Amino acid sequence: MHISTGKPLPRRTVLKRAGIALGLPMLDAMIPAFAASAPKNPKRFVGVSLSLGLHNPYLVPKNDGTSYTPSPYLKSMQDIRDEFTVISGSSHPGVKGGHTAEASIFSACPMGRGSSSKNTISLDQYMAKHLGDKTRFPSLVLNTSNQRSPSYSENGAMIPAINDPRKLFNTLFIGDSPAARKQKREITRGGRSIMDIVRDETKTLERQVGPGDREKLDEWFTSVRELELRLQANEAWIDKPKPKVGKAPSSPDRNNAPDIMRAFLDTVFLALQTDSTRFVTLHCSGNAVRALEGVEESYHSLSHHGQSGEKLEQLAIVEKATIDRWGDFLRKLKGANLIDDTMVLLTSNLGNASSHDNRNMPVLFGGGGYKHGRHLAFSQTNNYPLPNLYLSMLQNLGMEADRFATSTGTMKGLV
Amino acid sequence: MRRASFLILPVLSIGLLPADLRDDLEPFLDTHCYACHDDIDNEGGLNLLDLKLDPENPKNRSIWEQVFRRVEDGEMPPKKKKRPAAEAISKFLKQLEAPLIKADRLSLAKAGRVNARRLTAQEYENSLHDLLGIDIPLADELTADTGEGFTTTAKTQQISHFHLNNYLRVGDLALKEAFDRALKGDAAFKKELSAKEVCSPGRGNNRGPQLWEGKAISWFSRLQFAGRITKTKVPANGWYRVTIHSVDAVNPGKDGYAWGTLQTGSGYSDEPILYHMGLVEATSKPTTVSFDGWMQKDHILILKPNEAGMKSAPSKGGSFNFGKRDLGKSGFVGLRFDKITIQRIYPNAPGRLVHSLLFADIDPKKPGENPAAQLSRLINRFASRAFRRPLPSSLTQPYRQLALSELKAGKAFPQALRSAYHAILCSPYFLTFVEKPGPLDDHAIATRLSFLLWKTLPDGPLRKLADEKKLRDPKILHQQIARLLAHPKSSRFIEDFTDQWLDLRDIDATQPDPRRFSNFDIPLLMSLREETQSFIAALITENRPVTELLKSDVGFLNTRLRDHYKLKEVKLTPGKGLQKVTLAPGQRSGLLTQASILKVSADGSVTSPVLRGIWVNERILGRHIPPPPENVPAIEPDIRGAVSIRDQLAKHTDSTSCASCHDKIDPSGFALESFDPIGQFRIAYGTKKSSAKVDPSGVTPDGLKFDSFFSWRKIYLKKPEMLARAFTSQILRYGAGGDLHFSDRPHLEQILKQAAGKNYGLRTLIHASLASQIFLSK
Repeated sequence: MHISTGKPLPRRTVLKRAGIALGLPMLDAMIPAFAASAPKNPKRFVGVSLSLGLHNPYLVPKNDGTSYTPSPYLKSMQDIRDEFTVISGSSHPGVKGGHTAEASIFSACPMGRGSSSKNTISLDQYMAKHLGDKTRFPSLVLNTSNQRSPSYSENGAMIPAINDPRKLFNTLFIGDSPAARKQKREITRGGRSIMDIVRDETKTLERQVGPGDREKLDEWFTSVRELELRLQANEAWIDKPKPKVGKAPSSPDRNNAPDIMRAFLDTVFLALQTDSTRFVTLHCSGNAVRALEGVEESYHSLSHHGQSGEKLEQLAIVEKATIDRWGDFLRKLKGANLIDDTMVLLTSNLGNASSHDNRNMPVLFGGGGYKHGRHLAFSQTNNYPLPNLYLSMLQNLGMEADRFATSTGTMKGLV
Repeated sequence: MRRASFLILPVLSIGLLPADLRDDLEPFLDTHCYACHDDIDNEGGLNLLDLKLDPENPKNRSIWEQVFRRVEDGEMPPKKKKRPAAEAISKFLKQLEAPLIKADRLSLAKAGRVNARRLTAQEYENSLHDLLGIDIPLADELTADTGEGFTTTAKTQQISHFHLNNYLRVGDLALKEAFDRALKGDAAFKKELSAKEVCSPGRGNNRGPQLWEGKAISWFSRLQFAGRITKTKVPANGWYRVTIHSVDAVNPGKDGYAWGTLQTGSGYSDEPILYHMGLVEATSKPTTVSFDGWMQKDHILILKPNEAGMKSAPSKGGSFNFGKRDLGKSGFVGLRFDKITIQRIYPNAPGRLVHSLLFADIDPKKPGENPAAQLSRLINRFASRAFRRPLPSSLTQPYRQLALSELKAGKAFPQALRSAYHAILCSPYFLTFVEKPGPLDDHAIATRLSFLLWKTLPDGPLRKLADEKKLRDPKILHQQIARLLAHPKSSRFIEDFTDQWLDLRDIDATQPDPRRFSNFDIPLLMSLREETQSFIAALITENRPVTELLKSDVGFLNTRLRDHYKLKEVKLTPGKGLQKVTLAPGQRSGLLTQASILKVSADGSVTSPVLRGIWVNERILGRHIPPPPENVPAIEPDIRGAVSIRDQLAKHTDSTSCASCHDKIDPSGFALESFDPIGQFRIAYGTKKSSAKVDPSGVTPDGLKFDSFFSWRKIYLKKPEMLARAFTSQILRYGAGGDLHFSDRPHLEQILKQAAGKNYGLRTLIHASLASQIFLSK
């Protein structure tokens, strides 16, 4: 399970204690100048995933259709009711494993529990592979607390996530110095001849080792090829100035997981607005929620509520705040007229975190130009395949796909 | 030869296995298993009635291995059912074990247990430091090792274009540093700041020390960046030696010490993160203390007393306003000192050594008549060290060609060389362990040994023995293990291994709730990891029995830890930091009473017997706990009406499928309930009279009752073999880079047998593990 409690202690431990509050650089000097050059209507996807699910009875409205009565979690979202769809009774066929199913959130791959079986490409990476060459960053893979992600490459390797909102902001918007650019050019140039050598070596090595190593070396081989393509694509971006934006979003409280999510989404919004990328996943795996008023325990321990009223009450505070931050993101997209071109998903591998059940995944789906404002209720006992939504999304991007993972068609009822 | 025979044997027998052997198992299965595990009941998704015995198929083998383990552990048939006779069980296990081992050995012989193991980020950094003589941090620049379990586990190591791109980038970073130092020389920087200079604040508010009677005094304050010394700004990223001269404590308290912290950072809120450099334990006796640490360009030092509960020095509007007030007289705690010196250092090697590592005896500016030949020589030498074995010329040819083409294109000699080195550092021959199936060759053994015990490339002596093919000689192997363990570099093994085995790398992952644990402070946090690492290092060095992991008269304490543990009777010299002490019997001792372990196994706010129970079972007792069951709504716990955590868990254990694991998990967790999330002993959950009392009693899975942590511990002290098996498995998994296999069982038992005579001494266990086939074959 990957409930994160943080990354390894670095050689020089960063102390983020009370009294050493974090603040992001003030970039007042920077003039907001949103890329006017952004092409018209590029389609985008932002997938937000939660490692601890959402309490089904508080999320899923009682009735379906367009006249559904808002559930407790959705009451505060009524102003943007027509911007999203609630989908219940759906999940990834064959995906099991409780927490370990995290890896399959966007790939829908029924991996089973043994770490020997391999994952398949995730939705965002599939999009980025085919359409990611238009932007400086083919995709952004983000995590609120560690470098793990549900984004997987074609050969089943996990894409390491950026887990620091400040670093994300700098990567996106702070230009490199002339010296750094020169070095990047050199690495790109030299890197290609080096990758030529590495590619050949990988093949030579494959002949010298056993069958088990060959499989691993194949992954090296694909990685070399992918890097070669990326080096080529990156070269064009090195000398293009990065877009200028206003202030960096305020930095979050370490003990407030929804606020960390907010800090990331604020930056993702800037990335979309400047067309720096079109495909984003953000995995929310923080465990510290103590800074939320009324919450005493850690997120993971609350998710195992066992129907205890006291725990559920605290859990609801956390989950409500999470959904609200996601709603704020939709509102911002709407305000910036980006919403109809941006598909925004909120989901989790866990339909019931208290019992580690992977069925009945929580799904809120917004934007992308669909007719929203409805509750698509499928059977809680015989789930509808969620990969169908993923296929619909691919088609929404204009891709000629007819299948994604275990999809059986496009999403029923989504128009 | 050896490998060939391995391959032939099982091939012949496999075809004959299934039918015959399945028949042998039939009577036992029929009597004890089919009642639940048949096509109708299919309990737990397991239908043994229709399950073939086809151990050649890995999936099938893994199911039968599970069956074997659960019967062996006595979990199956379940306790409520009629138990088979002991002989029946052992007969069944024997019949099942043989074909499973055979098939597993065959698959190991073909593919090996560890496939293309990659250097971890830390191993990469150490190796580059050794190859180039540089000392800049590199590990944090790489993609973090995020796999489950040990970072050395090949199976969970990932490779993607992100990883490769980072190798490309960080290799360049390292080479730039090395070539700059070799060609331009080392930077010199030394600054001496008098007390007066230390106390003259720069821009912004005054949050620095106070000048008092010719000395500088840094007072405790909760103001952000209190204690900042603006004049200590350093001109470049690098390692610096900071010396604080004649430091003593103002108002050190009745026990005679005050703890402070030395941190680095910009010191201003536009870049607020502070980095830890060291702890200062000041006493009434002036002492000069030194710290070596990495500092970033333009960062400064921030020094202040920093214990929980200290009184903040007077300030107004974010600025100290004590003026000429005698704060010492008013009882405030301060660190007083004469002056500070900061000096740039190169802890790994001086520039001239970097030069010789890169260029040997060649002058890169005047490489002589035949620069091509010189390039070849240097490239072959560098590649042979990086790849850890003698290399055929064909292998280094592409590097030579790369350098030559650069030279032809008009690049200078050092640049051409640097390109070739860069390619070598991105090669899978450098970045992975090249091992062929079967017994490892001498160079592969040298690599495994060195990366295990020193976390870096083999050194000269080890390489020489590998070249001479002597490492398979048990005596020589033993000597080398002993040599590596005795060397200071083995502290890297202790640190990395305990960081992962005991989760010490997560020591700062949760922040104890300040409302409940207001006594938790940085000096304590920074002492925890060191306490446990020193403890494990001592047990290994002194070859102490494995039971001392649980209970030992060896302890490592400083005054801060002693206060935390309330061990007043332990004698310590204030000002000397962490000290080895002898703990009296009955006192808290051993790993599970150390606050580091108790903190990483809790979440900062509350403890969970489940999480701690799993932790103790997996890490210390060697019982693997499978992940919680999935998708079975019937077992969703309902804890409404349960008052205590114990009641809640009782509701879990009402259900049989929950109970089969919780019977193992919960007891150890209950025993540890006597310790709060920061490791303090407690008898109640809170300080109020009405607070619920802690109940640390329980029953172990084999039915032994205990009423406290101490009596729980007594039970496991009587199981040294179990503890030794657990420890050995950890060492082997970490060291070899792969999980243990079913067919490793006899090897593991052999290791334990060898160490039994030495009371399962930890060092004996390590020696025996590294001499075993598990470690010495792929």
